Amino acid sequence: MTQPKPLLAVRDLRTAFDTAQGSVFAVDGVSFELAAGGTLGVVGESGSGKSVTALSILRLLPAVTGRIVSGEILWQGRDILKLPEREVRALRGKSISMVFQEPMTSLNPVYSVARQIGEVLQLHERMSRAEARARSIELLKVVGIPSPEKRVDSYPHELSGGMRQRVMIAMSIACRPQLLIADEPTTALDVTIQAQILELLARLRSELGMAVLLITHDLGVVAEFAEEVLVMYAGTVVERAKVSELFDRPLHPYTQGLLASAPSAQSGKRRLSTIEGVVPNLAELPAGCRFRERCSQAIAQCALAEPPLTPLPSGRKVACFVAVAKLQAGAP
Amino acid sequence: MTGEPLLAVERLTTYFPQGGSLWGGGGKVLRAVDDVSFSLGAGETLGLVGESGCGKSTLGRTILRLIDPTSGAIRFEGRDITQLSQAKLRPLRSRMQIIFQDPYGSLNPRMTVRAALSEALTVHGGRASAADQREALVSLVSRVGLRPEVLDRYPHEFSGGQRQRIGIARALAVRPRFIVADEPVSALDLSIQAQIINLLMDLQEELKLSYLFIAHDLKVVEHMSQRIAVMYLGRIVELMPRARLATHTLHPYTQALRSAVPQMDPAKRRLRVLLSGDLPSPLAPPPGCSFHPRCPIAQRGLCDTKRPELRELAEGHFVACHLAG
Repeated sequence: MTQPKPLLAVRDLRTAFDTAQGSVFAVDGVSFELAAGGTLGVVGESGSGKSVTALSILRLLPAVTGRIVSGEILWQGRDILKLPEREVRALRGKSISMVFQEPMTSLNPVYSVARQIGEVLQLHERMSRAEARARSIELLKVVGIPSPEKRVDSYPHELSGGMRQRVMIAMSIACRPQLLIADEPTTALDVTIQAQILELLARLRSELGMAVLLITHDLGVVAEFAEEVLVMYAGTVVERAKVSELFDRPLHPYTQGLLASAPSAQSGKRRLSTIEGVVPNLAELPAGCRFRERCSQAIAQCALAEPPLTPLPSGRKVACFVAVAKLQAGAP
Repeated sequence: MTGEPLLAVERLTTYFPQGGSLWGGGGKVLRAVDDVSFSLGAGETLGLVGESGCGKSTLGRTILRLIDPTSGAIRFEGRDITQLSQAKLRPLRSRMQIIFQDPYGSLNPRMTVRAALSEALTVHGGRASAADQREALVSLVSRVGLRPEVLDRYPHEFSGGQRQRIGIARALAVRPRFIVADEPVSALDLSIQAQIINLLMDLQEELKLSYLFIAHDLKVVEHMSQRIAVMYLGRIVELMPRARLATHTLHPYTQALRSAVPQMDPAKRRLRVLLSGDLPSPLAPPPGCSFHPRCPIAQRGLCDTKRPELRELAEGHFVACHLAG
């Protein structure tokens, strides 16, 4: 069987930001692929580079401080980084769309729901105003907004957080995208509303056959929603695996520490296991492995070189000398 | 529990009048805290969980008299503090403290850690010699896991986890017995969250502190608390010993809340009780049981007309639901 051509392939992406301490690489050599219809979760703590990766894909970085330094972002084989801005704009919102954490900041407060969803349809689908309005109402129905005929004339501030996120999702699926990038789509929501939104995203994913890149800090959300997971730390990918494999047997010491520090992982135990220390400052990264200073398993080699993301026979990948050596020695 | 509890809250109510004219009348009333009763023993942690707008933070602040209650009583160390003037409250303030979600907002950006902590020490502790003061500060910061060097730095120089440690140090400076911890770890990354949870639990053991631990994260509350209270629209709908949360929840809202938490472990995943709709506005709470419009088992003619009171269905396990048990 030949490997299907990926919908999206990110190759060695490096994205820099200018800070008071000079240029730092928020994303530093990230590579991954996503197949059509697939769901890839990207997990990491603040500063891991997960959101910057997402913004880089659509070339939405803040113009003044952020820039993509090198790498390729291949969308169906074409490098988005080499496209003229006009063509990128045609992709955004049509083939690739995005949902953000805080819908209030991505919705325009002075436009009604009808106008905001309608704009997407008029722009990309060349619909008339009346057609766009009718389709907007249909979309609101699809995302589970009650009395859509009335709600379509609401303004964002008149909607609850959950409803706003539904409007954002309606907007993002208006043109039946092939890829939805969801950046912490439920983080600002209460847990019962989060459950509703995740259920909705899962339903739309299978109905529309779209691929989803889900960025989150919540391990539970990733475990329930994604098929595969990318774990990021300090701008790099440290591990990639199928969801079931990752939670069953994390290989990277950082992933192991992260899973172990969740309160639910250790019912009955009084003290939680922790990862000592804090995420390194990107401007003052240690030599070698970026996780080394917090790692209880570090060996001399870890200080000498940065471990590459190494493919394993199982199809998983891990960027850790110790984990790879253990697996080669046949350790359980 | 034997003897007088450290804190007893009786039928506490906090209403906020909304809108209307300047001279009152015509406005609506927001029932942020509505007829809440519970007690807290020395060295105990009571977890208070609920979604945004349920009134859990207002309850915490009302107990500390940072917000004036509308009715009901707050008894702290056996003394009714509901009506005490702010002047009379001041000496009590050193025994009841609060830790916020974002300590950045509660630390003066122009004050070094030393200045902020010294202020707390002097305001509540009286005068001490300079040497004693220095020693007290060093021991305070090391108690929360920071090095003495941090004393001469400013709040913006710290990461979120370190700032939370400073927030905790400031609360501890006055040697409190009771701390309201209002979402103390929800802004922190998972690995840092675990560090702060451990710190809070160690301090509790060492200093015999009592916590009212407020959070929206059920897993964190379950880990921290001996008893757990679930709030919905200003009221406690269920109050239970920790062990019952995993196996014997009785209120349909608690059950929905629990089932909505995404699980890492597939074995722990349960059938999800998906609630329809949003939290109703606390300005116009539904009649009867305020949860009935979203409740999967609500009965017409009962739940939409009659408000359920908390009843004890098992030892120490209270629930406000007509249909539970």
